Order: sequence, then structure tokens, then C-alpha cells
Amino acid sequence: MTCGDVAQMLDDFVDAELPTSQLLAVARHAGSCPSCDLAVRELSALHDAIERSAREEVDALDLGGVWPAVSDGITRVEARRRWTRRLRAAPAWGVGLAAAASAAFWLLAPAPELPRIASPRKNQAVIERIDSGGARFELRRERKYGTTLIMVSADGDAVAR
Amino acid sequence: MSRAGRPVIVGAAIAALSVVTAATLCHALEVQITSVRVAERGPTDAQLIALRPRFRRLVGYRSFQVVRDERRVCAWQAHEAFKIPGGRLLHVVPKGMREQAVVMQVRLIDRRRPLLDTDVRLQNRGVMLFGVDTDGHAPDGPLIIMLKAEE
Repeated sequence: MTCGDVAQMLDDFVDAELPTSQLLAVARHAGSCPSCDLAVRELSALHDAIERSAREEVDALDLGGVWPAVSDGITRVEARRRWTRRLRAAPAWGVGLAAAASAAFWLLAPAPELPRIASPRKNQAVIERIDSGGARFELRRERKYGTTLIMVSADGDAVAR
Repeated sequence: MSRAGRPVIVGAAIAALSVVTAATLCHALEVQITSVRVAERGPTDAQLIALRPRFRRLVGYRSFQVVRDERRVCAWQAHEAFKIPGGRLLHVVPKGMREQAVVMQVRLIDRRRPLLDTDVRLQNRGVMLFGVDTDGHAPDGPLIIMLKAEE
């Protein structure tokens, strides 16, 4: 076994994934070769450090809330199944009666009153501005259709309004 | 441009103008002006029989006869002058629609003297009346002008 062979098998050696004969060969070479021994020790130290860090992170995980949540879910599902079982056990006439009562309530309940908007009359007219130039005029309005009449005097007299 | 291409362009322009005019007229306002002579006694025109009670309540006369009737399609914001018997003119300027009502300016001119200038908002397809009273001084008597506007 040469230093080159050890360098190629170093990762598998540290992970103990080599066959027994090769594990012994690498160990024997590292025992007699200071540089390969150092390489094995450094890689082992690195592996240990990574493993320790991962273990610490796993220990830091709080899984205390997981089980209560799972338990609540189970309780809800069981409650739902209980209701389904009760409904299946209920007589058909009871379900029909409940449906009929709901329909009657819906049909007989008074409809909400909508605000009444007065519709404009057929001939409704709004005078927004009026100017008779001094001539006498009179505004008359008929109630039924809202017809508006503007009566203006054309006799030549300018009468003050 | 070649001479052969000119008729095509002129034809296209006329077609476009026709389409624009048709579209404008579709959204225009139809104004009907009916002048009605009123009197204390006498017959009433058959076409006014249905309106007679309303006229009676508003004007107080008993006889109503149509002396002039004119129907015109008016463009928005355009000025239209309708002839009224007795040398009068009714000027109408449709301004637009607001809440299902026609907004318009109406001016009544007696020869050269302005009798009335008003801005009105009349329900679409509605009728309003303008009365010209002569107080018995004119031989032709009082007159009612019916204005109907329909978009």
C-alpha cells in the first residue's frame, strides 16, 4: 500500500466503509507513515466535529407541539364521524320535517323592505334657470303627469315679477 | 397620388362621413314643437282630445286647435329655431342627458323681443308647455307651445 492508495481510500477508511482486509492495510500503512497518519487523524477530527454539530441541532429541535396538534386533529375527525353516524341513524321523516320547516321559514319570512325611490312623473320638468327679460310670466304645474307650463305675457307690458 | 386612386379615396371619405353622420343622428334628440291656438269656446282638434283635460286644468280655456306641428332631429349642443305663429321663434339648444332627462336651453322670441330664456331638464319623452298670453290685445289670441323631447 502506498501513500497514493491511502489518499484515494481515506474517506472510505474514516467512514469504515472499506472491506476488513483494506481497513487493516490502510491502518498498517498509516501506523508506519507519519504524513498518512496525520491525514487520517485530521479527517477523523473533521468528521467528529460535523457529527457533533448535527447532533446538537437535532437536540435543539422542539417537537413538544407536534403531538398535541396531531391529537387535536384526531379528536376533530372522530367528532365528525360521530355526527355522520348520528345522521345516518336518524329517521328519514325527521330529516324531511327539518327540510320542510326550513323551506317554510324561508318562504314565509317577510322580504326585507327596499328603500322606496319616487319615480319621476312622465312629463316632469325641472326649471334650472329662467329669465323673461322683464316680461310677466307664471309657472304652473299639473299634478297627475307633472306637466309644466310657463305662461308668459306678450302684451308688451314689462311687469315686475 | 395617381388619378386612378383618387375616386377610391373620395368614395372612402364619403362612406366614412356617412357612417359618422348616421352614428351622430342615432344618438341625437328628436324635438317636436306643436303650436296650439286656444280659445274660450269652439271645437277642439281630435288629436288633442286626450290632452284637453290637462290643458283645461293648466290654461283654463275650452277650445284647442293645432296651428303648426314640426318634428326635427336636433344634434346635441346645436341650435335649432322653430317657427311659431305670430312671428315668433322658439330656439332650442339640447345640451345633454342627465338622469334620464333631457337638459336643454329654450328661448322664445317675439319678433325681436325676447320673451323667455330658460334652462330646463325635461324627462325623456316628456312634454312641457309654453304659453303665450296676449291679454286679449292681439287678434290671434293666446297660444300654447308643446315641446316634446325624445332621445
